[in-house]
Amino acid sequence: MQREPAAAEEPGCPGGRRRRRRRRRRPGDGRTRVVRSNLLPPPGVEDPAAGAAKGARRRRRGGAQRLADNRLKTTKYTLLSFLPKNLFEQFHRLANVYFVFIALLNFVPAVNAFQPGLALAPVLFILAVTAFKDLWEDYSRHRSDHEINHLGCLVFSREEKQYVNRFWKEIRVGDFVRLRCNEIIPADILLLSSSDPDGLCHIETANLDGETNLKRRQVVRGFSELVSEFNPLMFTSVIECEKPNNDLTRFRGCIIHDNGKKAGLYKENLLLRGCTIRNTEAVVGIVIYAGHETKALLNNSGPRYKRSQLERQMNCDVLWCVLLLICMSLFSAVGHGLWVQRYQEKKSLFDVPESDGSSLSPVTAAVYSFLTMIIILQVLIPISLYVSIEIVKVCQVYFINQDIELYDEETDSQLQCRALNITEDLGQIQYIFSDKTGTLTENKMVFRRCTVSGIEYSHDANAQRLARYQEADSEEEEAVSKGGSLPQRGSIGSHQSVRIMHRSQSTKSHRRTGSRAEAKWASMLSKHTAFSSPMEKDITPDPKLFEKVSECDRCLAIARHQEHPLAHLSPELSDVFDFFIALTICNTVVVTSPDQPRQKVRVRFEVKSPVKTIEDFLRRFSPSRLTSGCSSIGSLATNKATHKSGSNFLSTLSNDRTLLKLEEKLSQPTKAIASNGYSSGAKEKEQEWELRYEAESPDEAALVYAARAYNCALVDRLHDQVSVELPHLGRLTFELLHILGFDSIRKRMSVVIRHPLTDEINVYTKGADSVVMDLLLPCSSDDARGRHQKKIRSKTQNYLNLYAVEGLRTLCIAKRVLSKEEYACWLQSHLEAESSLDNREELLFQSAIRLETNLHLLGATGIEDRLQDGVPETIAKLRQAGLQIWVLTGDKQETAINIAYACKLLDHDEEVITLNAESQEACAALLDQCLHYVKSKSPCSTPQKTEGNVSVGFSPLCPPSTSTTSGPSPSLVIDGRSLAYALDKNLEDKFLFLAKQCRSVLCCRSTPLQKSMVVKLVRSKLKAMTLAIGDGANDVSMIQVADVGVGISGQEGMQAVMASDFAVPRFRYLERLLIVHGHWCYSRLANMVLYFFYKNTMFVGLLFWFQFYCGFSASAMIDQWYLIFFNLLFSSLPQLVTGVLDKDVPADVLLTAPQLYKSGQNMEEYRPRTFWLNMADAAFQSLVCFFIPYLAYYDSDTDVFTWGTPITAIALFTFLLHLGIETKTWTWLNWIACGFSILLFFTVALIYNASCATCYPPSNPYWTMQTLLGDPVFYLTCLIAPVAALLPRLFFKAVQGNLFPTQLQLGRQLAKRSPKKLIAPKETFAQGHLLGEPRTESSEQRSIKTSGPLSQDCTSQASWHVQQPACSPEASGEPNVVDMNMPLREDILLEELSGQAPGSVPREAILEGCSGASKMKPTSTSRTAPLSSIFNLPNFSSLNWISSFSLVSGLGSILQFSRNSLQMDKQDSEFLPSPPQPDQDLCGLSGQTTDYF
Amino acid sequence: MKRISEDYQSRLPDNTALKQQQLPAYRLQLSATGVLSGFFAAGAFCLGMGIILILSAKSIKEIEVKYTKICANCAELREDATNFDKECTCSIPFYLSETMKGNVYMYYKLYGFYQNLYQYILSRSNSQLLGTDLKDVGNCAPFSNSHDGTPIAPCGAIANSIFNDTIILSYNLNSSIPIEVPMLKSKITWWTDKYVKFQNPSSINLSSAFAGTTKPPYWSKPVYELDEEDPGNNGFLNDDFIVWMRTAAFPTFKKLYRRLNRIQYFIEGLPAGNYSLLIFDFPVTRFKGEKSVVLSTLTWSGGSSLFLGLAYTVTGAVTWLAAFSMMAIHLMLKKKKMLFIQD
Repeated sequence: MQREPAAAEEPGCPGGRRRRRRRRRRPGDGRTRVVRSNLLPPPGVEDPAAGAAKGARRRRRGGAQRLADNRLKTTKYTLLSFLPKNLFEQFHRLANVYFVFIALLNFVPAVNAFQPGLALAPVLFILAVTAFKDLWEDYSRHRSDHEINHLGCLVFSREEKQYVNRFWKEIRVGDFVRLRCNEIIPADILLLSSSDPDGLCHIETANLDGETNLKRRQVVRGFSELVSEFNPLMFTSVIECEKPNNDLTRFRGCIIHDNGKKAGLYKENLLLRGCTIRNTEAVVGIVIYAGHETKALLNNSGPRYKRSQLERQMNCDVLWCVLLLICMSLFSAVGHGLWVQRYQEKKSLFDVPESDGSSLSPVTAAVYSFLTMIIILQVLIPISLYVSIEIVKVCQVYFINQDIELYDEETDSQLQCRALNITEDLGQIQYIFSDKTGTLTENKMVFRRCTVSGIEYSHDANAQRLARYQEADSEEEEAVSKGGSLPQRGSIGSHQSVRIMHRSQSTKSHRRTGSRAEAKWASMLSKHTAFSSPMEKDITPDPKLFEKVSECDRCLAIARHQEHPLAHLSPELSDVFDFFIALTICNTVVVTSPDQPRQKVRVRFEVKSPVKTIEDFLRRFSPSRLTSGCSSIGSLATNKATHKSGSNFLSTLSNDRTLLKLEEKLSQPTKAIASNGYSSGAKEKEQEWELRYEAESPDEAALVYAARAYNCALVDRLHDQVSVELPHLGRLTFELLHILGFDSIRKRMSVVIRHPLTDEINVYTKGADSVVMDLLLPCSSDDARGRHQKKIRSKTQNYLNLYAVEGLRTLCIAKRVLSKEEYACWLQSHLEAESSLDNREELLFQSAIRLETNLHLLGATGIEDRLQDGVPETIAKLRQAGLQIWVLTGDKQETAINIAYACKLLDHDEEVITLNAESQEACAALLDQCLHYVKSKSPCSTPQKTEGNVSVGFSPLCPPSTSTTSGPSPSLVIDGRSLAYALDKNLEDKFLFLAKQCRSVLCCRSTPLQKSMVVKLVRSKLKAMTLAIGDGANDVSMIQVADVGVGISGQEGMQAVMASDFAVPRFRYLERLLIVHGHWCYSRLANMVLYFFYKNTMFVGLLFWFQFYCGFSASAMIDQWYLIFFNLLFSSLPQLVTGVLDKDVPADVLLTAPQLYKSGQNMEEYRPRTFWLNMADAAFQSLVCFFIPYLAYYDSDTDVFTWGTPITAIALFTFLLHLGIETKTWTWLNWIACGFSILLFFTVALIYNASCATCYPPSNPYWTMQTLLGDPVFYLTCLIAPVAALLPRLFFKAVQGNLFPTQLQLGRQLAKRSPKKLIAPKETFAQGHLLGEPRTESSEQRSIKTSGPLSQDCTSQASWHVQQPACSPEASGEPNVVDMNMPLREDILLEELSGQAPGSVPREAILEGCSGASKMKPTSTSRTAPLSSIFNLPNFSSLNWISSFSLVSGLGSILQFSRNSLQMDKQDSEFLPSPPQPDQDLCGLSGQTTDYF
Repeated sequence: MKRISEDYQSRLPDNTALKQQQLPAYRLQLSATGVLSGFFAAGAFCLGMGIILILSAKSIKEIEVKYTKICANCAELREDATNFDKECTCSIPFYLSETMKGNVYMYYKLYGFYQNLYQYILSRSNSQLLGTDLKDVGNCAPFSNSHDGTPIAPCGAIANSIFNDTIILSYNLNSSIPIEVPMLKSKITWWTDKYVKFQNPSSINLSSAFAGTTKPPYWSKPVYELDEEDPGNNGFLNDDFIVWMRTAAFPTFKKLYRRLNRIQYFIEGLPAGNYSLLIFDFPVTRFKGEKSVVLSTLTWSGGSSLFLGLAYTVTGAVTWLAAFSMMAIHLMLKKKKMLFIQD
C-alpha cells in the first residue's frame, strides 16, 4: 500500500519541466550547494528572536537560496495557463501550424474558398481533441501529485522544539526529518542519526531501481559516535555538496563542523527519496535535496518519444505531398492566369468584377488562384493523419498489453509498452542485440560444481537435481504446447474454441503452479529476498567434499585451543576450510530472518566499525586495548598521542598475541554452543532454515547457499563482523576489517578479516578467473611446495576451462595472509585514499590493487546460469524470421560460446571465426584475413544477393532463410579487446562487412559502452533497424541507443526496464512480440498510412480535374461542408478499425512461418515504390471517379452541387471498397464501421439538405440529396464508377495473389484453409520424414551428436592455443590464427557418411516416399507437439555444407537429394494451397536443384 | 496468501475475443476460381446493364440547332449601344426527320459560359430571393447596389447575366403556314426551388413589392415584368429565372427552357417535318460563346447521354478481358509447371 504513492510519482515529471528548472538556476551558483540547518538564524538576520512572523519567512529561506521545495508538481498547466500554454505547445507541431495557416488564409477576402468559420472547424476540432487529452492527463497527474504532496512526515519544528507532523510538500532543504520504520523517504536526506547502535539504516530501493534487496546506509561520520540522542538544535555544521544531479550511484560532499573540521559525505550517507526505511526503528536526517531536485525525480524521464522509421518515411512522403500540392496549385494558377487573359478583353457575362468594376489582371488572378487552390487542396496533407495514427498506435499498444500470450504467470507481469509510438518498428527489426546473462539465461545462479586445491568435485547429485528441474520445465512446455494446439484448431473463432483455450490455459496454470512456479510463488511471498528460489537454495553437496569439510570442522574443533589450529590440517584440508570460509564471508550478503526484525542484541566485540581511521587501527591493535577493555571510545587525546608516535606503532603490534587471547575469551559464548556438539546441530539447522540471505548479485547468494549446504552457514553479518556457524566449531566470528567491493574493472571483490582461530589478517578474494589467476603469488618451481602449487594451478585452470565449456560461470577463490606490518602499511595508504576528497575512486582502486596481489589460490567454483525457457526455440524462430542476432556479453569467451551453443545461436556444424587480437595492427590483419576467407568461401552469393530474391519465381517455395541457400555462413566471436580495436574508425567498415557475412556474432567481455557502440555502428552504418534487449544496468546504454530497446523485467532491477521502450518478462516473449505483434503493427500502420495518402490524393484529384472545367478558378463542385468533414467524419472510422484490428496473417501462421516477418524488414508494405504506385492508383481512380459522373452528366441541365454530391458519394463508396480490398480480415466491427460511414453520410446529407433553404452559401444544397435519390442516374453512376475505378487494383491483386503470390499471401492462403488442414501438412511432413528416410535422419542426428563434443574440444583447445602465443610477447604483433574446426569435423562426418552411405535410400525411393507421404492423410494428431521442435532445428545447413565440398560430392549427392526432399516436404507442407500440388512442385523443384548441382 | 493470489490474478489480461484480437473474421481471399468467377459475373452484369442503357438511350431523340452564327448580325447590332431598342429577330429553319414521341423538352444550350466560377456562384442573395429582405444584398458585390445606392433586385452576377433570348418554335405543317408549337413554361424547375427557395415579397402587387429596388444593370425590364402574360410567373418566381439561378456544373451546359404542350398536332410528340426557330435576342450581350436550342425527349434513365450505357459496356468488356487474360496466364503457368515435371 505504501509503495503506491511513490510509484505513482514516477511517470510524471516531463522533460520540459526539468529543462526549465535548469535554466532557472543562476549561473553564478558555482558547482556546489551549501546547506545549513533551517533551525539556525539565517546569516543575514541579526536578531534571532524576531518572532513567529519571521519564522515563517525563515521557513521560506530555501527560496532565497533558490532551492526547490519538496512540493511535487508534475502538472504542466494551471487553470489559467492551460489554454495559451496548451495551444502554444500544440503549435510546436508543424502540421498544426500549417492547418491553422490555411484556415486563416480563408479570412483573406480575395482568397477565401470556404466560409472562414467553417474552414477553422477541423483545425479547432483536432486542437480540441488534443487539448482535451492533455487536460485529462494533466488532471490525473495533478491528482497523484496532490496525493503525494499530502503525505505526512515528522519534521522538527523550531517553535515547538519537537518533531511535528507536516505534509511532504512543506519540507524545505535544511529541515530535519525523522523517519520511522517502513516510511517512505520524502526527500534526499543526509542521514545524521539512527536508532541502530551502529549508526546504520537499511533502505529498500525497489521504488527507485526495482532491486528488492536491502541497502545499507550509514550515519555521517562524526555523528555516529554521539552518545545522546541527536538534537537538531545543536546542529551547526554546514554541508557542502554537489549540485542536484541524477546520478543515483554517486553523492559527494563534505560536512564542515563549527570547529572547522571537515568530514566527507558519500552516497552511503544519503537516503534517497522514494526509498523505504526498513529494519531500522527511526532515523533523523537533514534534507539536502528536495522536490524536483531529488535524485529520484531527476532520474525520472517519463515516457520516451521516438519517431519510428515508418513515421520518418511517412513524413518524407508528406513532404512529397506538399510538393504535389504546390505543383497542382501552380499549375492551376498558371491555367487561371491564361484563362483570365483569354476572357479579359471579352468582358464576359460570368465575370464578376471587383467592387470598383475593374477586373483583375491575369497575374493577380493567378496569385489569388494559387492561394485559393492551396486552401481547396489542403486535404492532400491529411489533417487527420497524425491524430489517426496516434489513435491507432494507442489501440495497438493496448492490444499488445492485453495479449494473454505475453502474460507471464511466474512473475505476474505482462508486456509493458513504455514507448507509445514505435510499435511498428517492431515489425522491421533486422538486428537483435542481446545481453546474455538474465536475458538468454535466467540469471538464477545455481552452484553446480567446484574445484578445491586442484581436486574437482563434480557434484553429480547436484547435477541430477538440476536436471530434475529441467525435466519439470520441459514437461510443462510439452503440456503447454499440447494445450496450445487446441485453440489453433478452432482458430476460426467459434465460441467453443475460445472455451477450449480458456480451459487449456487454466490447466496450464495449474500445472505450472504445481512445479517450479510454486517455488517462485513462495519466493514472491517473501518479497524481500531475491535470488532464493528452492532451486538456488537446495544444493546437494558432493559426498567427498562434504566428508572433507566435516573433517576440517572436526579437526579444528579439537585443535582450536592450540596455537596454530590450521597447521594441524593438511594443506589440502586447510584449503578446503579456507575455501568455504571464503565462500561464506567474501560477499555482501545480508542475513535476515523472515519473522523478526533484525536482531540488535548480540554478543559482540566492542569495536565500532571496519577500520576507518589510523587511530582506530592503532586502538584496536595496540595493547592498550587490554587495559581499556571494552570501553567504547578511547579518549581522543590518547589516540592523538599514539598517532604522533605513529612511527613506532609497528613495534607495539608485536604484542598482538595477547589480543587474540582476549578475543577468544570474548567469543566464549559461541564456544559454549559449540561444546554442545552435534546435539544442537539439528536444532540449529532448523534455525538456519529460517535464515534468509539478501544478496546484491545472484552469484553471491548461490555461493552462500552452497556453503550452507556444507554446513558452513553464514548466520550473521554486521558491518564489522561476520559469523559463520559450523557444526563442531560452532559459531566463528570473523572481524571484518574491510570490504573492497566488486567492480567491473577489477572484476573481483575482497574482504579483509581477522581470522578468529589464527588471528591472522586474511584477505579473501573472489573474482573472475582470468583476473585472479594473474594475481597469484608467483611460485618457484624449485621446491616441492612450489611445484605442487603450480600443479594445482594448472589443474584448476583445466577445470576452469572445462567449466567454461559446460557454460558455467567460473569464479576463482583466493586468499592472502597479511602480516600486521603489511596490513598497517596498506591501511595507511588506504585510509588516505578513503579520506581524499578529489580523487577518491581512483585512489581506492589503486589501493585495492595493492592489496589484491600475491594471492594463494584456493579453488574455483562453477555456477550454472540456466537458459530461460524457450530460448533456443525463440532464437531459431527469430533466425528464420531473418533477424540477425548478436550477443553482446560481459562474460568470458568460453562461457559465452557455450551458452551460445546451448541456445542454438551457434551450430556445431558451422565454423566459428574467433577474433582475438592483441593490438590494432593484429586486429586489422586478422580482419583482412577473415574477410578474405569469407569471400573465398562464398564468392558468388553474398547475403545481400540472396536477400533480394525473396518472392521471385513461379514456385511458392522461396528459400526460408538466407543461410540455407548461400551455404553455411560462419559465426564470429570477438572479445572485448579486439572489439575495441575493431570499432576504431579505420577498421569499423571491415568489421561490419565481416559481421554482415556472419550468421551470428558474439561479442564477449564487452563493456556497456562497447555494447552501445556496436549498436550505434550497426544502426548508423548499415542503416538497419536494431533492437537491443537486456535486463541489467549494463545494458541501459545499449537499450537507449537502439531503435527499439527492450528491457527484461528480471531480477537485476528495473534500470533496463526504465530505459526501455518495451519491457517483457522473459526473452521468449520476444518471438511473439516481434513476429506477431511487430508484423501486425507494421503491416497495419503501413497500410493505413498508404490508404491515407491514397484517400487524400484521390479526393484532391477529383477537385483538381474539375479545375479544367471551371477555368482553374479554384472552384469546387463538392459542397464545402462535405469537403471539410469528409475526412474527419465520413471516411475515418473504417480505416481506424482496419488499422487497429486488421490481421494480414493470423498469429499461428506467423509463428509457424516466421519468414513472413521479412516483409516488414524489407519494408514491402510501404516503400517508395508502393507509395508512388499507390499515388498513381489514386490518380487513376480520381480520374475515373471524376469523368464517369462528368460524362454521365455532360450535356445535362445539372447544377454544380447536384453534380458534386454524387461525386462525393462515389468517392465514399470507392474509398470503402478500396479499404475492403485492402482489409484482410472482416470482423463485425469492420462491417459496422463501413455501414456506419455510409449511413452517416446519407443521414447527414439528407438532414443537411433539408435543414435550411437559404443557408449554406454558396451551395444552397436544399433538397439536393433528396432529388438525387429519385434520380436513376445517381444510382447508375454510383454503381459503375467505384467498380471501374477499382478494377485495375483488383485485377492486379488477383493476378499477383494467384500467380505470383508473395510469402504473406501464401501465409494468408494457408490460414484460409480449414484449421485441420493447417496441422495436416506438418503431419505429412513428419510422416514423410519418418517413413521416407529413417536412416538418413538418424545417422545425421548421430553424426551431429558425435561431432558435437569433439569439435567443442577442438575449439576450446584451439582457442587456448591461440591465446597463449598471443600473450607471449614475441607473438603479440602477429595476427592470430583464425581457428577453424571444420576440417576436423569433416573427417568425422566423412567417417560417418562412409559408414552410412551404402545403406542410404536411393533418390527415387525418397521421392516416392515423399509423394506418397504427402498424399497421406494424417491419422494421429498426437505427434504434432514434438514435431514442431524438429521443425525448428536448422539441421539442414549441415547437409548443405557437406555438399559444397567436392571431396564428398559423391556421397553428398545422395544426401543432397534427401535434403531437397526434406526441404520440399517442409515447405510444401507450409505453403502449398491445394493438396494435389505438392508432388508437382516437389518434383519440379528437385529437378531444378539437380540442375545446379 | 489469499490476498496475494487475488493480486496475482489481477494482471492477467481478459481472455475475450476482442481483447485477444480473436474476433471471428471473414477473410477476403483472392483465389483463382473466386476471382475469375467474380470477374465474369461482374463483367456480365456490366455488359447487360450497358446494353439496356444503350438501348434506352437510343430511344431518345434529340436535335440541336445552333443559332449563334445565324443570329450574328443581331448580336453585332447590339454591340452598338445606340441600337439597343431596335428589334432584331432571326429565324432558323431546320428539319426534323423523325417524329419525337412522348414528352419533348426544349433546352437552350450555352457553350463556354462559366457558371461554375466560385465568385460567380457566390454572387447572389438567398434571403433576397426568398423575399424576406429585399435590401439584403450580401455577397452580390459589385452587383449589389446601383450607382445611387438602391439595392438591386435580384442582385448578384448570376441574376445579372441571365439568359434572356426568347425562343419560339414553329412548325411548318404545310410549307407556307407556320404553326407555333404550344409550349409550357411551368414545371421546368425543381419543386423546392419554386415553392421553398424562391418567394416574392408579399404585397398587393409585384411592382409595389419591388419598390425601392432597381433592376440589374444588364436587364432591360425589372424583375416583376419578366413574364407579361402570366402574372404568377413574375418576380422571383419566374421559372426561367429560377432555372438560371441554378448554376450549371460545366462551362457547356443546357438548361430547360420549355416543354411541349401535347395538344392538337403534338399529342404524340413533335412530328417530323420542317420547323423554324424564332429568336428574339433583345438584350445587350457580351457573351462570345455559342448558343443553341436543343429539343429532346427523356427516358427512365434520365438524360440523353449515351455515355452511361457505354461506360457499363466498356467496363463489362474490360472486366471480361481481364478475366480471360487471367485465365490464360493461369493455364499457361500450369502448363509450365507440368513441363518441369517432365524435365
